[in-house]
Amino acid sequence: MSTSPYAHLVGRKLPGGTYTLPEYLTWLWQDTCLLPQDTEVAHPSLGYFIGMQGVGLSIQEMFDMMGATADSGVMFGETELEFFGTIRPGATFEVEAEVVGVERKEGKRAGVFDKFWFTMRCRDQETGEPVVTCTNTWIFPRKEA
Amino acid sequence: MPTLEVGQQLEPLVVESIDVEKMKTMAAILQDPNPIHYDADLVRELGMGDAPVNQGPINLALLMEAVCRFGGGPDSLKRIRVRFLGNVFGGERYECTGKVVAIDGDIAELEVGATANGRPVLAGTASVKLG
Repeated sequence: MSTSPYAHLVGRKLPGGTYTLPEYLTWLWQDTCLLPQDTEVAHPSLGYFIGMQGVGLSIQEMFDMMGATADSGVMFGETELEFFGTIRPGATFEVEAEVVGVERKEGKRAGVFDKFWFTMRCRDQETGEPVVTCTNTWIFPRKEA
Repeated sequence: MPTLEVGQQLEPLVVESIDVEKMKTMAAILQDPNPIHYDADLVRELGMGDAPVNQGPINLALLMEAVCRFGGGPDSLKRIRVRFLGNVFGGERYECTGKVVAIDGDIAELEVGATANGRPVLAGTASVKLG
């Protein structure tokens, strides 16, 4: 299997930044995911959302970085979240992120695809303590390859 | 919590029918431009299925909730790692399950997974701190 033409992205720091988790979005997220509502502690699934909001790029911009359009069938491959503290609605988080890997692969059903994974580390700005680290793997179909 | 044992099953978390309208809200929350989450025609064109594809974060959140209920609350989940094995489509029955595979002090290691209409769609492991 050939090397992905996007392999040069490995190790690239993503812009990162800060993100304040609004209480209304916490509520909407939890409602959308059929989760219980708690005003003091956000559901841990919001760890993914905080990272994505603080990564400094939109999902479309990340697709652009990988040369993919929104309608090309990009899928989630794998995810890992590790928690070190509580996600509080209304808190501000500092997010650092980087591309960890890009690999070209081929599957019997999936055809040629690029596996792209990146890590986001989120810290509570007020306490300085790490709260959650999230690593996501996305699958980019490469029908043209 | 009663005595915990290796092999103990989590209480299954079941959504009888995945709601397409929730996918639209999630697409807006995430600012996710991927139309597979709201455009059934495109899903068909791509040969992926006949209904919009539920967002991975929703599938994952439901599985995490099953683990949190087992652990006693949202702070109990310490780590989760899952592979997305297949798509979950609008209207499908979604079920999250798990079992204890190891206990180390107040941490339980779990095997977790989810099915859509009986097909495996998520599989992974989780660590939960017991209250």
